[in-house]
Amino acid sequence: MDLLPLFEWIDTSMLADISKAYGGVFAVVQMFHLLSLALLGGAVLVGDLRLLGVMMRDIPSEIVVRNTLKLFNVALIVVLASGIFMMSAVAIKLYYNEMFWVKMTSLGLGILFVYAVRRPLLLSYDHNTISALVLKSMAVTSMVLWFTVAASGRWIGFS
Amino acid sequence: MLNEWLLTLARWLDGFSWSTELHESLYMYAWIESTHVLTLMLFLGMLFIIDLRMLGVTFTSVPATTIAERLDRPMMIGFVVMVITGFILYFAIPVRSTQSIWFRIKVFLLIAAGINALLFRNKMRNPTGSWDLDPKPPKHIRTGAALSLTLWAAVVITGRTIAYDWYDCNKELPYFMYWAAGCVDEMAALDLQASLQ
Repeated sequence: MDLLPLFEWIDTSMLADISKAYGGVFAVVQMFHLLSLALLGGAVLVGDLRLLGVMMRDIPSEIVVRNTLKLFNVALIVVLASGIFMMSAVAIKLYYNEMFWVKMTSLGLGILFVYAVRRPLLLSYDHNTISALVLKSMAVTSMVLWFTVAASGRWIGFS
Repeated sequence: MLNEWLLTLARWLDGFSWSTELHESLYMYAWIESTHVLTLMLFLGMLFIIDLRMLGVTFTSVPATTIAERLDRPMMIGFVVMVITGFILYFAIPVRSTQSIWFRIKVFLLIAAGINALLFRNKMRNPTGSWDLDPKPPKHIRTGAALSLTLWAAVVITGRTIAYDWYDCNKELPYFMYWAAGCVDEMAALDLQASLQ
């Protein structure tokens, strides 16, 4: 499936008119993208490091996961909304950028992993009833996925 | 006076071959810059969660100081990494950074955020009364947390805007902006122009 028509459509959309014409608006949106990335990363790190038993061992992991998932939801919405706006400014360029596709793939996998696996499992079951190996491998998978999203995102700027 | 002194220091640093090599390196600069930015998730991520607990937004069933104490170490590790990589980044581009209005605002904000953090830590360490267990801490704690969030967010924002060249010395700017950004040569040129008129 060729997604070029979609990128061409974004490139000529009203969103692109705004993001291309106003450098100041783009910069402000980019700031929100960066700040919500920090919140998203913090939420992922605290939840996963708790599952690994690295920190907050005296606080039940159910409480840590429930609270960090709420913060994650908010951060993800801001990251996605600001990301789509930023993308509209350079849609065609991104279509041909390899790092962009690394980021989109890991982002897709990351979202799928959180909402189809991590969240349903960790919110519906007592963590004591889940094998430690499952909890730990979930934590590592989650950290690797979201680190890849952030790192490949930064690298788009250099490539 | 201070502007001249800072510029002399920056030019001295710029004279080191390491500085140029780092700036012009194919990947090293990008690696250090990426480390600086990605460590935001560790430093600012932990800070956000601590401050949001102090505001009564998250982890309300856990004592506020427990959250602050448990997240303090990872946050400080993140901070140290950011300071070290930040110094290296400054060393790689000393003159332009010294003459960047954004970099200058960032340094001021860093100092303000640091003072607020010290005051805030003292308040937290000696919780007067039993607010530690309150889902929503008292007003003076919430004010400190809101100030902390605002200041650190502003540090990140001004850090990001250093990359934009809107107010670089080579642009035509009012005298005040040249002074604020430390564009010593441009100020001298304007002074000369004024004296000739």
